[in-house]
Amino acid sequence: MQRKSGLLKELVVNRLLFLMLLPTVLFFLINSYTPMVGIYYAFTRFDFNTSLFNSQFVGLQNFEFLWKSGVLARLTFNTIGYNLAFILLGNVLAIALAVLISELRLKWFKKLTQSIMFLPYFVSFVILSVIVYNMFNYESGFLNTFLAKLGAEPLDIYNMPWIWIFLIIIFYLWKNIGYSMVIYLASITGISEEYYEAAKIDGANIFQRIWYITIPMLKTTFVMLLLFALGSIMKGQFDLFYQLVGNNGMLYNTTDILDTYVYRSLKVTFDIGMSTAAGLYQSLFGFILIMTVNAIIKKINDEYALF
Amino acid sequence: MKKSAKALSVLLSFVLVAVLLAACSSNGGTATPTASPESSQATNEGSGTDGEGAKPGIDTSKAVELQFYMLGDAPKDLSSIQDAINKMAKEDLNATVKFNYTSWTDWDQKYKLLLGSGQQVDLIFTAEWTQYQSYAKRGAFLPLDELLPVAAPALYDFVPKDMWEAVKIDDKIYTVPATYKEYVTDGFVWREDLRKKYNLPKPVDIETFEQYLDGIKKNEPNVTPLSMNSDVKTNLMDRFRAISGTPIGALPYGLDVDYHSPSEMTAYWGTEEHKQDLVTMKRWQDNGYMVKNVLAVKDTMQDQITSGKAAAILGDNPTRFNDMVIKIQATHPDWELGYYPFPLTNGLATPVHPIHNGFAVPASSKNAERALAFYEKMVTDKRYNLLTQYGVEGTNYEIVDGYYSMIGDSNSNGFPREGMNGWAWRNPEYMLFDKNYDGVKAIFDELDKIQVPDKFTGFAEDYTTYQAERAALEQVEKQYLFPLNAGIVKDIDAGLKTFMEKANQAGLEKIQAEYKKQWLQYVQEQGIK
Repeated sequence: MQRKSGLLKELVVNRLLFLMLLPTVLFFLINSYTPMVGIYYAFTRFDFNTSLFNSQFVGLQNFEFLWKSGVLARLTFNTIGYNLAFILLGNVLAIALAVLISELRLKWFKKLTQSIMFLPYFVSFVILSVIVYNMFNYESGFLNTFLAKLGAEPLDIYNMPWIWIFLIIIFYLWKNIGYSMVIYLASITGISEEYYEAAKIDGANIFQRIWYITIPMLKTTFVMLLLFALGSIMKGQFDLFYQLVGNNGMLYNTTDILDTYVYRSLKVTFDIGMSTAAGLYQSLFGFILIMTVNAIIKKINDEYALF
Repeated sequence: MKKSAKALSVLLSFVLVAVLLAACSSNGGTATPTASPESSQATNEGSGTDGEGAKPGIDTSKAVELQFYMLGDAPKDLSSIQDAINKMAKEDLNATVKFNYTSWTDWDQKYKLLLGSGQQVDLIFTAEWTQYQSYAKRGAFLPLDELLPVAAPALYDFVPKDMWEAVKIDDKIYTVPATYKEYVTDGFVWREDLRKKYNLPKPVDIETFEQYLDGIKKNEPNVTPLSMNSDVKTNLMDRFRAISGTPIGALPYGLDVDYHSPSEMTAYWGTEEHKQDLVTMKRWQDNGYMVKNVLAVKDTMQDQITSGKAAAILGDNPTRFNDMVIKIQATHPDWELGYYPFPLTNGLATPVHPIHNGFAVPASSKNAERALAFYEKMVTDKRYNLLTQYGVEGTNYEIVDGYYSMIGDSNSNGFPREGMNGWAWRNPEYMLFDKNYDGVKAIFDELDKIQVPDKFTGFAEDYTTYQAERAALEQVEKQYLFPLNAGIVKDIDAGLKTFMEKANQAGLEKIQAEYKKQWLQYVQEQGIK
């Protein structure tokens, strides 16, 4: 009784705040929670003539195609591996570049570098795939023409699976680094000048100032971006892999991720049950991962945790 | 995953909307019985005043808007055509229509969503390449057997009986087939000017085709002999098999049926024959007839020819060949293209199967009768048909000496010939042809002389029992068989062995056994010999 009136009182007292919260709550309710009903599709056989809940329940049958060819482990490993590389290399490089750029004094040069680094972000992966093909194709690619001029043997890049691990990471960084750098640059601008001035007076050189002031101040941003990124670690950069590798089976051992695998399998057998099953596997794995990492971070330092 | 997640969310919103609509329409449904006496009166009156316009069989008292779905891109002038059609349809059937187009990007995903989401769709294009057979089998379309004689009697008479028979799936009609007879059989395409220049043999079979490729390789270092792209299954292997033997069709799962003995199905993958074919592919690759990174090529095969990058296509159909000829005439008048239809070599001149072009009424449609009545108009009424096939006479086209002639060019004209992709509602009686099309007609005439029936397309595979295996196999094929097809695997024996191991692990045997069972049953039921 007591508590109920407490909650009611709370609603009445802060009604304006709750009203302001309402659109967000509704947004998530409609766009995120209601559609979750569709998870049930993963466990039914899709039928054109009945509704979702009248469809035949088939248990885990829709998940079967994921392990049928025995590649689930490799796919999961590839997906996580690439994403870890993207997240770690991406963030470290972005921080380094952001620090460098923030130390630049020439204003126009700073703006120019920033823009140039940001530009690849707008290049679509479709265009990137054409560029890559023209760089690396065996007969007339830029690389082999260049090697031929030097008198060296041509390289068949599209037949060298190992090299694609590096190529994919490099192209990812090339495209995305400018964007994440700007985020770090923004939080660097937010650091109060007073710290630096105090450090200067105490005789700290520029490296000490970066190491002892800038980097620690970026930690919160870093942890937050890390946590957000970890949540989607099971979701690869579909466009990147699909456009660069496409139908080239020779490269699948090192470049196939869950997204591309699922896309290819279901392009022929489009089945709503099976695609939902694949999506559910990814989401569930991502959910477990983000909960674990968040719990660990919470244990180490409560303030940095997301929730 | 992003894509399918997006598709899922789109789907779910559709579902929500559909639920809302269903709620609304159930109100409408309860209202109908009370309204029916009035409406039958209305139709009686209608038939009294003008006997021709009204349909005796169906109730047209309530105005409806039909949702018409076609694949591909809409022509620029579609809205004015739609207005003109609607003016007539309103009068004739008390209906208006909205012509919707999916665009070619991801059309297969969109097609599946249109049928799967329960969205209001009244007429939709069907073909064997849009999986008509499996969709029909799984209940995505309405059976039309009883509706047709009532709602579209003229159409029902117009389409020959054997065609209705041919499109039947499990003894029910699910689509209205097109009656125009054409051939989409393949044939060699090559640069004739280069052949003459270097005095190369005319390709009529694999042997002469290979000699041609070799001649190009030796004489024209900057031209790739064979036009090919990453789909080395359809564009390379299926075509290669089609001309080197007499297969009944491009069967999936490495199965093989000879046209002359339909009831004998054998496995092709992993056999000595398969290995020999792969050896040939490797030779083509090693000799440089295809580019080395063929698996990374995304250009269409036709573009590679018209741009001059490549000299020959292993197999393409007469209509597409003609399109290339027209294109080249405009850009490189000094080039020439040659064509040799496969049927002249292997004897399999199969006219297009009625399933190849059709329109169906999805199970979700609430206006099935009106949809069919409207479709009847599109096919049999000259005004509707000409307007939706060629646009407005005098604005979009004119008739010169009995031939179709476009006004302006493809950029300035807002409605090119068959601009609405109206392959399915072509009516041979009203069809107009471009003068350029005479080349195709000549090929068709030649094929007419040796035509034999298509025995394969009517078969509807039901893969519900091996869906997981099928998806897994698709995967194995891409990873292990495609590189073999492209001839880039150094050790064919080992490569083929790995492929067979992986395929069996994915459940190849189960798929083959099940498919074979269904096929034999079909052959027996239909009495195919």
